[in-house]
Amino acid sequence: MQRNRPPSPQTINVLRALATDPAQWRYGYDLATEVHLKSGSLYPILVRLADRGLLDTSWEPAQGSRPPRHLYRLSTTGRVFVAELTAARAVRTTRNPHSRWSEA
Amino acid sequence: MIGGLFFVPMLCLLGILIAWYRRDPRRFLDGPAEDLPLRLTRWAAGLLAPQRAEWGQAMLGELGHIEGPVRRLRFAASCVGAVLVLPARGRAAAGTWAMIVLAAGAVVLFGAVTARYRLGGGAWIAAAILAVFVAGVFLGASALLRRPGVVLPGLFGGLIIAVAWLIVSGFTFLDQVLPDIVPWHRLVQVIVVPFAVGAASTLWGRDPATGRRIARLAAITGSLGLYVYTTVAVAVIGGGGPFDQDGGGTLQGTISDRLANNMVLLAFTILVFPTIGWAGAAAAGRLLRRPPALTSAGPVTSNPESQQEA
Repeated sequence: MQRNRPPSPQTINVLRALATDPAQWRYGYDLATEVHLKSGSLYPILVRLADRGLLDTSWEPAQGSRPPRHLYRLSTTGRVFVAELTAARAVRTTRNPHSRWSEA
Repeated sequence: MIGGLFFVPMLCLLGILIAWYRRDPRRFLDGPAEDLPLRLTRWAAGLLAPQRAEWGQAMLGELGHIEGPVRRLRFAASCVGAVLVLPARGRAAAGTWAMIVLAAGAVVLFGAVTARYRLGGGAWIAAAILAVFVAGVFLGASALLRRPGVVLPGLFGGLIIAVAWLIVSGFTFLDQVLPDIVPWHRLVQVIVVPFAVGAASTLWGRDPATGRRIARLAAITGSLGLYVYTTVAVAVIGGGGPFDQDGGGTLQGTISDRLANNMVLLAFTILVFPTIGWAGAAAAGRLLRRPPALTSAGPVTSNPESQQEA
């Protein structure tokens, strides 16, 4: 059974980073560096997002002797989800200026 | 005789080192062909369930584009953490829950006895040490549980090791609290049964690498199971039987001493069972690896899984 718990602050940071340019494919390591997460935290988040259908994944072809890289971007569902989060946050910010994204 | 038995595990360890060297002498002479982060990440990727295999490849692919030994090592170590944090699936999940019950049971029982008899600060420190030790054992077991074909035979092997120990020493709680140590009992409990389980693991898995993993999981399960049983015995018997002189002849001292004996038994079995089981699995692997009579001059291929050690 899929549980839809509220996303953690780290998950929201990842979603926000992906939402800055939803059409662009991103590398895992670059994403981790951008949101200041270790790979040990980032990959479980990416796995959960992909399981919930919020993430599209793809493979970049191998370059020379280097292995192919996994790419990530928000799926259509993911974009809607981030939009809902943002809207919920806006509503809460209006009601309570001290609320955070993580409460969305 | 009992003292002599302690040398057998040492000899087994020596045998393992020699076998390791003989398997790949260049590793010792030239160093490994791949760097540590790559091997670590590959190992972590191998722990993932088949449904998650893509994520292991994603980690390996990312590592291939990271420069610098420190950054690579940090990335790889973090990936190992990620793999262990991801919930297991299928049989691995069931096995993980069984192991959680055993590990938590061991710590909770110790705490319960400590609280009931008010054994004081020293016992609580021992409980904390036990919790850390058991958590480490659990992490090691959880890595084994994620390997294919290991869970059921591993847990069953552990049951055999524990039950054989109890059959030989006696099932009653009093037999566990006040054991009547006979040398040949220890020979069977510590050497014969774990070795046989290890050998059977390789024959069951039809692959030496899988057999060694099964043997290690069986050893860990058997050790923890025995520890829980002996601690239950202390909880039930309490200060029953003659007070232990090592414990100062008091009720609390006697119970502290019995709990400490169990901890020593756990430390001993967690070290010796896997070593002996590994040796048994490796010995059976030698039998499996005997080359068949040559019937054709075709190319010989090896199973890469057999080369990979957990």
